[in-house]
Amino acid sequence: MSYSILIVDDSLPMRSVIKRTFKTAGYGGSDFHEAANGKIALDLMKNGWIDIVITDYNMPVMNGMELIRAIKKEDLLKDIPVVVISTEGNEARIKEFMDCGASGYITKPFTPETIRDLITNILGEESYDEDLDDSDDDFDF
Amino acid sequence: MMKILTTAMMTSTSEVMETMFYLPVEFGEDPVTLIQSGMEKLKPHMACQLKFSGDVSGCVTLVIPNDLLGEVTENFMGEPLENFEEEHLSGTLTEMLNIICGNALSKVDSKIPFELDIPKVIDESNIPKTQSFTIIETPQSLMAINISMN
Repeated sequence: MSYSILIVDDSLPMRSVIKRTFKTAGYGGSDFHEAANGKIALDLMKNGWIDIVITDYNMPVMNGMELIRAIKKEDLLKDIPVVVISTEGNEARIKEFMDCGASGYITKPFTPETIRDLITNILGEESYDEDLDDSDDDFDF
Repeated sequence: MMKILTTAMMTSTSEVMETMFYLPVEFGEDPVTLIQSGMEKLKPHMACQLKFSGDVSGCVTLVIPNDLLGEVTENFMGEPLENFEEEHLSGTLTEMLNIICGNALSKVDSKIPFELDIPKVIDESNIPKTQSFTIIETPQSLMAINISMN
């Protein structure tokens, strides 16, 4: 099973790294979409199907917190889970994100295992595929 | 407070460089100027600065030789250097400083949560020649980090 994953980060390298980490974590079959800030992300979400949003906090134009608030105001978007990936590991800040409606929070630096555990928790067990397993076996879902 | 911040920054630099950039690092013993560090021989460099605020406010500056930045970018993005443009290199540099600072400040108790500004690439000539840096030693090269408080 694959997902439509929207990665929101103003850093081009960071978007690439998040995408690569998701692939390493077992989500290689997913469709990845990218946005450089919350405003672009919101526009993308209004014009296409997104299963989960992965957003940075500290971005120009519209930051991660503002994006979550905007998503929660939209009837068609409010149930889409949003995970924040940020450098800010302060407990008060994490609580602020969760109170605002984030489904999860990952602090940088992160590992594929951290991503896999959180996404499995949010989207369910069937999301995990072993596409980085070196074997050539076919997979049944 | 400066000692706490410096210790946190060194711990985070090690953690972040190994986890996300696959580069083990060690630190020089005493802060030195860039000239004293021997980094002049490794020019050209790129430099980046990030302001922070909270219980204390200040600024962190990171200076890295271009050759090392290329290696770091390759490790970070998992692609060979020839695939990258200037934006990838500067983006990796700003992200590296962003992650190190965010990680370090999360280790420091603060009544007011620390806020990070957006990191900016700066012209190295704007760094005072007398400014002291902690030297970060990698297997092949050096980079330098400075924390200053307002």
